Amino acid sequence: MKQPGKTSGWKKYSGGIAMKKVIACVLLSALLCGAASAKSSGKKKNSEKQIVLKVLAGQSTTDAGIEKLIDKAVAKKYPDIRLDWECVDWGQDFHPKMQVYIQSGLPDIMIGKAQDVITYGSQDLLGDMTNASYTKEILPAAKTGVTVNNKVYGLTYNAQYQGVYYNRTLFKKYNITVPRTLDDLNNIIAAFKAKGLTPFATHFLDTWSIGNIAMQFAVNDVFRDIPDWGDRFRAGTKNFSTDPGYKAVYEYCKLIYDNTWTKETFSMEQTACDAKLVQGKAAMKVSGSWSIQNFLDIDQSFDFGIFPFPNRTGDSKLLFEPNITFMKSKKSSEQGAIDRVLDVIATDKELALEICNYTKTASMLKDVTPTFPNPSQKDIDMYAAEGKIQDVNLGNNQLQWGGFQDENAKDIAEYVQGKIDIQTALKAADARRSISKTE
Amino acid sequence: MKKAILPAKSDLQYVSLVLPGLIIFTAGLIVPLIMGIGYSLTDWNGISQNKTFTGFLNYIRAFTDPEVRSAWLFTIKFTVVNTIIQNTLALLLAVVLDGKIPGKKILRTIFFFPCLISAVIVGFVWTKMYNNVLPAVFDAMGLDGHLCMLFGDEKTVLQGLLIANNWQWVGYWMLIYLAALQSVPAELYEAARVDGANSVQRFRHVTIPMIASAITVCTVGITTGSLKVYDLLVTSTRGGPGRASTSIIYYIYSAAIGGRQYGFGSALSVVLTVVLLAVAVVQLRMLRKNEVQM
Repeated sequence: MKQPGKTSGWKKYSGGIAMKKVIACVLLSALLCGAASAKSSGKKKNSEKQIVLKVLAGQSTTDAGIEKLIDKAVAKKYPDIRLDWECVDWGQDFHPKMQVYIQSGLPDIMIGKAQDVITYGSQDLLGDMTNASYTKEILPAAKTGVTVNNKVYGLTYNAQYQGVYYNRTLFKKYNITVPRTLDDLNNIIAAFKAKGLTPFATHFLDTWSIGNIAMQFAVNDVFRDIPDWGDRFRAGTKNFSTDPGYKAVYEYCKLIYDNTWTKETFSMEQTACDAKLVQGKAAMKVSGSWSIQNFLDIDQSFDFGIFPFPNRTGDSKLLFEPNITFMKSKKSSEQGAIDRVLDVIATDKELALEICNYTKTASMLKDVTPTFPNPSQKDIDMYAAEGKIQDVNLGNNQLQWGGFQDENAKDIAEYVQGKIDIQTALKAADARRSISKTE
Repeated sequence: MKKAILPAKSDLQYVSLVLPGLIIFTAGLIVPLIMGIGYSLTDWNGISQNKTFTGFLNYIRAFTDPEVRSAWLFTIKFTVVNTIIQNTLALLLAVVLDGKIPGKKILRTIFFFPCLISAVIVGFVWTKMYNNVLPAVFDAMGLDGHLCMLFGDEKTVLQGLLIANNWQWVGYWMLIYLAALQSVPAELYEAARVDGANSVQRFRHVTIPMIASAITVCTVGITTGSLKVYDLLVTSTRGGPGRASTSIIYYIYSAAIGGRQYGFGSALSVVLTVVLLAVAVVQLRMLRKNEVQM
């Protein structure tokens, strides 16, 4: 006769073993399913129904949202193509993401800035667009910055203007004219301070704004005279610490800091800063077109102008920066679909107008003129007529942003606060010589 | 007599249960660690096909670069102060909320709630607090609103971050201490009371030894978490003003990885991993000595 206890114990034990087998199988299956789905999600669904193209978009504050406009336009003309967007901050995350994808496989389309074409095109990562029909739609001036070894690797879509945005109402009220020289600038700084106004609006919480300001100054005081200054720097024949042009650049940054809201600037974000300019709490802001969106969101009737920050020789030029730039992966298996998408982007004038009006920027496509109210346009047209417009990538293509310009900006932040002296700040830039450009 | 085959089968089952996790751990942690060590011995920029072997140059730079030193200094200051403050506050709150006070359940929820919020959101919230809300309150009270702008001055940015971090996490560690306090046998307190111990003596000689394991967990947890501070900085100070609040991980991401110095960034990451392990091991060894086994 069986002993009940032993029999039930054995059943429990064998039941337990069976349960463990089931759990083990479930876990292994889950692991395999997870691995399989991860692999398949990286692939495009190349079914007859729809092609999915992966897009990595490095965006500025003004660009966020254009992906919806592009999706609409592409879906209208090519409903068999779907864009799978990954939008990141250009300044912070675009390059780290690109480094990851260079190892695992680039997205089909990348959206960055024109200077990225030099970086990634030189590494043979980008698809050649030289003979593509859609590049004929781009203004010739926009192709220079995206050409590497006589091949076009980017489609520059729009441009921003950079300089000193000023509150025209305040200038008129106090009978102040736009400065052409540094002496003129110092005079109007004194005039505004005498009226109890902050001369410059700044938001140094964003270190990129310091870097941008510094490069604006550098283009007019360094690179216009020596376009290959960066190459000479890497060769060791030029140094930040001994170059009078770069010394002046850092001193201009100090001038800005000494004439702004010093207690608040390292706590202030861009939107709050732009609001203060619109509200008349400051007279000027060294910035770019990316501020226009904020200006007009705060006050549609805000009257503002732009002028180039004066340089040592009194002949500074207004700067333009080719901005949103489309690139394609050289190794993508969907070159045909990519070209169709880029064709829509380059030829759909309504889309171009919509994007330029949304981002408050100038178009790099032929026959596209934005219609958003831009009080600074008459200043831009005046400088253009005088031949006083300069591509800021003259400097950006010589000294890379990530790891160099942004680190120099932090040194400038420490210098203007008095934590280090100007020579220490300049020498810190010299110490980064080897990483000033990705070769 | 039949051989006992059950133990071998049992081992197989255990292995099969552990295997999925082991595969993920190996693929997700061990393999990248080994690859990272490999990259750290090169000058790779993360983009090009070429990886030139440079030996220990990246490690030499990791120990001599003044910016790296500055990042470590900030990280160590943040970690030491944060560990002391957060541990002390969490324990004190747990002691208070373990007592007979009205509304203690609601208070526990209120203190715990912030740890459910992402550190990214916490950064945004405290940036607005310091830059907009508190200055407005101070201005309304006739005080200088600039006094609240803790993130805007290199002299006060550390304090500002400590307040934000403690606001977020003190409730989490408080719960761990609360659980430990509630597991202390009441008889021990009774016995101590009978022996004439006052409340401070009971806390020192009964409570602290009995919750020593919770102290270990909290101290190690707060220390390693503070050494890895990053997401709070991204949305609040962005490492500034200048580099005043750049932690070592922030530096690794922004300057090394963002700056296309993948080899150097890998070397820094390896050094950080070793430091984290060493700190955890030392803390565990020191604190475990004080743990009481019932």
